[in-house]
Amino acid sequence: MGIEYKLNRLDTSGVGPLVDRHWRELREAKEKGQKIAWSSGPLFIYAYATPNMASHFMAGYAAYCGGRGMADEVLEAAERYGELRDTCSYHRLHTGMMAIIRKGWPISDERVVLPIPDLLIAGRFCTEMSHYMEGIHRRFGIRAVTIELPVCRKNEDRPRVEKYVTAQVKDILIPAIEEVSGSKFNEENMREIFRKWKETCIIRNKCWEFLKRKPALWTMWDYGVSIAPIFYAMGKPESHEYYVNLLAQLEERAAKNIPAVHPDGEKYRLYWDGWLPWAFLGKFIRMMGPHGAIPVTGRYPWEFFPHPEDINPEADDIVHEWIRLLYTSPNALAYHDGPWGGEEHVEKLLQDYSVDGMLFFSSKTCRLWNLGQQEIIANIERKYGIPGVVIDGDMIDSTMVSEDQIRTRIEALLETIDARRR
Amino acid sequence: MEEIMKQFVEYPSDPYTSIAKWKENHKKKVIGVFPMWIPEEIIHAAGMLPVVMWRSNEAITWGYKHVPPYNCPINKSVVDDVVKGKLKFMDGMVFLRQCLQSQEVPFIVENNRPPAFEEYLYLPPIYHGDKASKDFTRDEFEKLRKRLEEFGGEEITDEKLNESINIYNKNRSLLRKLYDLRKQKPGILRGRDVLRIVWSSMLMPKEEHNKLLESLLSELEKNGYEPTKGKKVFLSGCLCIHPQLELLDMIEDLGMVIVDDDIYVGYRYFANDAEITDDPIGALMERHFIKTPVDPARGEIEVNWGKELVGKVKKLHADGIITLLTKYCPPHLCYYPDIKVELADAGIPEVLIEVEHEIISLEGIKTRLQSFKEMIGGF
Repeated sequence: MGIEYKLNRLDTSGVGPLVDRHWRELREAKEKGQKIAWSSGPLFIYAYATPNMASHFMAGYAAYCGGRGMADEVLEAAERYGELRDTCSYHRLHTGMMAIIRKGWPISDERVVLPIPDLLIAGRFCTEMSHYMEGIHRRFGIRAVTIELPVCRKNEDRPRVEKYVTAQVKDILIPAIEEVSGSKFNEENMREIFRKWKETCIIRNKCWEFLKRKPALWTMWDYGVSIAPIFYAMGKPESHEYYVNLLAQLEERAAKNIPAVHPDGEKYRLYWDGWLPWAFLGKFIRMMGPHGAIPVTGRYPWEFFPHPEDINPEADDIVHEWIRLLYTSPNALAYHDGPWGGEEHVEKLLQDYSVDGMLFFSSKTCRLWNLGQQEIIANIERKYGIPGVVIDGDMIDSTMVSEDQIRTRIEALLETIDARRR
Repeated sequence: MEEIMKQFVEYPSDPYTSIAKWKENHKKKVIGVFPMWIPEEIIHAAGMLPVVMWRSNEAITWGYKHVPPYNCPINKSVVDDVVKGKLKFMDGMVFLRQCLQSQEVPFIVENNRPPAFEEYLYLPPIYHGDKASKDFTRDEFEKLRKRLEEFGGEEITDEKLNESINIYNKNRSLLRKLYDLRKQKPGILRGRDVLRIVWSSMLMPKEEHNKLLESLLSELEKNGYEPTKGKKVFLSGCLCIHPQLELLDMIEDLGMVIVDDDIYVGYRYFANDAEITDDPIGALMERHFIKTPVDPARGEIEVNWGKELVGKVKKLHADGIITLLTKYCPPHLCYYPDIKVELADAGIPEVLIEVEHEIISLEGIKTRLQSFKEMIGGF
C-alpha cells in the first residue's frame, strides 16, 4: 500500500472577503462619483493611484469570474454575441460581460457584472490585451488609451524600450487619466502605495522562503490564491494584515515541523509555467495532491509583482519608477515574460526551489508564453536533466480543458521523475 | 501573355528552389522578412534581396515539436521550414513584434538554425500616432539600416534608400494599376493568377517584377476582354499568409468573380507608398503610421475596418464579401464580430472561411461557399 498523501492547506480564507470587497467597491464606484478605468497589463497602477478613479484589472476579473464559477456563463454570452472561440478567453469574458449589459441578458450571479467604464487602459504587454479594448471602444464608444509595452528580446534592448514606454505613459496615459478623472495625477499617492506595498511584499518574500524548504511548508496553490490581496488591496492595511497572518501560520508550521503535504512532505517538487487555471484550481490540486506532487514555484506567480527590493518609493521620477521596474530592474517582468529572459528566469527558480520536474501550462487561447515553452523544456532538460511536459488548457474556458489528457501528462511527468531517481 | 504568366508563376510554384537559384546566379545575399510590416526597401538598399516569408508547400511535421498546433499558420510553417533546414539559403532573417505569436518565432529560430544575420524590430502599433511611437519606429528602422551596413559591409546612403523606395513605389503603383484593371474588367485574370502575381513580387527582385508587370499590363490592355458573368465578391482578411489557390478556384468555379480584396498577399501588400524625401527613413516611418487599409494587428481605433469594407463594397457594386480568416490569428479573430455587425447593418452578405496551413476539408468550404452564392442570388 502506497503512502496516502494529503495537502495541508494554509488558512487563506481571508482572501474571499477582500476580493468581494474590491469588486463591490468597483460596482458602487459610480454612485460615489468616481470614474472607472478598466486596465489590462501592468499599467493599472496609474489609475489606481488616482483618487477619483476606481480601477479594474483584466486578469483579476477573469480570476474573480473563474473563482465564482461564472466564467462559462459569461463566455457563452460572448459567443452568443458573435465572438469566436479561438479568441483569448479573457477577451471573450469582457466582451461577454459587455454583451450582457448591452442586451440586458439575465445572469445568475449579478456580482460579475461591472459598471460600464469611463476609460479603457490597454497596457499592450500582450498585444491581445489591446484588442478587447478596441472591441469595447467600437461597441460603446468608450475612450481607449493603448500603451505599447513590448516584451524584450535582449538584455541590451531593455533601456531604450523603457524610455519609449515611459514617454508614452507621460504623453498619453497620464493626461487621459487626468482628463477623465477630472483630477491631477497624484504622485504622492503613488509613492504612498509603493511604500506600503513594498512592506507587504517584503513579508510576502519571507513567506516564499518557506517554499524553498524541503519539505515545503506550503504550496504554490496557496500562494496563487494569495496573489489577490497584493492586487486588490495594493498598499492597503488589509493586504498587509493578510500577509502578516500568512507568515505567522508558516512560522508556526516551521516551529512544529508541519509540512505542506501530509504525512512527511512532498514526493515531487514541481515548477509551474504559464497562467494559473483560475477556474480549475481545485481540479489541478486533486490531480496532483494524491501523488504527493506540489508546485513550489512558477514564472507567472513569481512575477506579480516586481520584487519589493527593486521598488524605490522615493525615486525622483515616480511615474518612471514603475516602468523601470518592468524593464530594467533585476527581476524585470518585461524581460522574463519573453522566452529569452524567461529561460534565464526559469533556470533560477528551478535552482532556488530545488525542483524535480516542470509543468508548462499552455493556454490554447492565450499565446503569451506558449511558443517558447517547448524550447525551454528541451534546453533545460539538456542542461540540468530536469524533465518537463506541456499541458494544454485554458484559465477559465472549460471547453478547452480536458481533464484526462492533463492527468495523463502529469502522471507521465511523475513517472519520468521516478525513473530518473532509480 | 502565357510566357509572362509563366515567369510570374515560377517563384510561387517553388520559392525555395527559385530563390536559391537566383542567389547562386547573382551572388547576392537573401534576407527573409517576416510578414507584414518590415520595410523591405532598407534591405534592398543594402544590395540584398528581401523575400517575404511564406506559408510552406508541405505539411507541418517537425515544426510541431516546437510550436503548439493552436498557433497561427505562418508561425507553424516558418518554424517547420527552419527546423527542416528548408530556409538555409537565407543569409539573414528579420522578425518583428507584430502580434503575440510572431514576436517569439525568432527564439525558436535561434535555438535551432540561427541565420548568419538576424534582426528583430519592435514595431509599435499606430493607435495614437504619438511622437514617442514615431521616434521609436524611426530608431528601429535606423537600427536595421546600421546592422545591415555592418553585415553587408556597405553604407546605405539616403540616396540608395530613395532609389530603392522609388523601385518599390513603382512596383506598388503597377500592382495597383493591375487591381484597377480587374475592378473595371472583372474576371480579366483568374484569382489564382492575380494572387501569384502579387506573391511573386514578394519573392523576386522588384526590378524584374516591374518589367514583367509592365509587359503584362500592356498585353492586358491590348487584348480583348470578354465580360465575365458571375456574382462580384470582395475577399477580406487572410493576414500574413496566402490563401490556397484551390480556394480561389472554387470561388470562381461556383460562379463568383473576385473584383478586389484587402488580403495580405493582395492589396494590403502594395497599398501604401513611401514618399521620396531627403529623409527616407522618416518617409518609411510615416508610411508605417498610415491608417488604411485598416490593419487589425497594427492597432487602430479611429478608422473602422467594417465601415471601410462597406465603403469599398458599395463603390464596387459588389454582391458580397468572403472573409478569409487566418486560423488562430487573434487580431482578426477579435475584430471579426464587429465587422460582421457592420456588414449586416449595411445589408452586405458575407461568409466566413477559415484558412489554415493545410485545408482540412475542401468539401466543407465548398458547402459554405455554395450557400453563400445562393444567398447573394445565384444558383
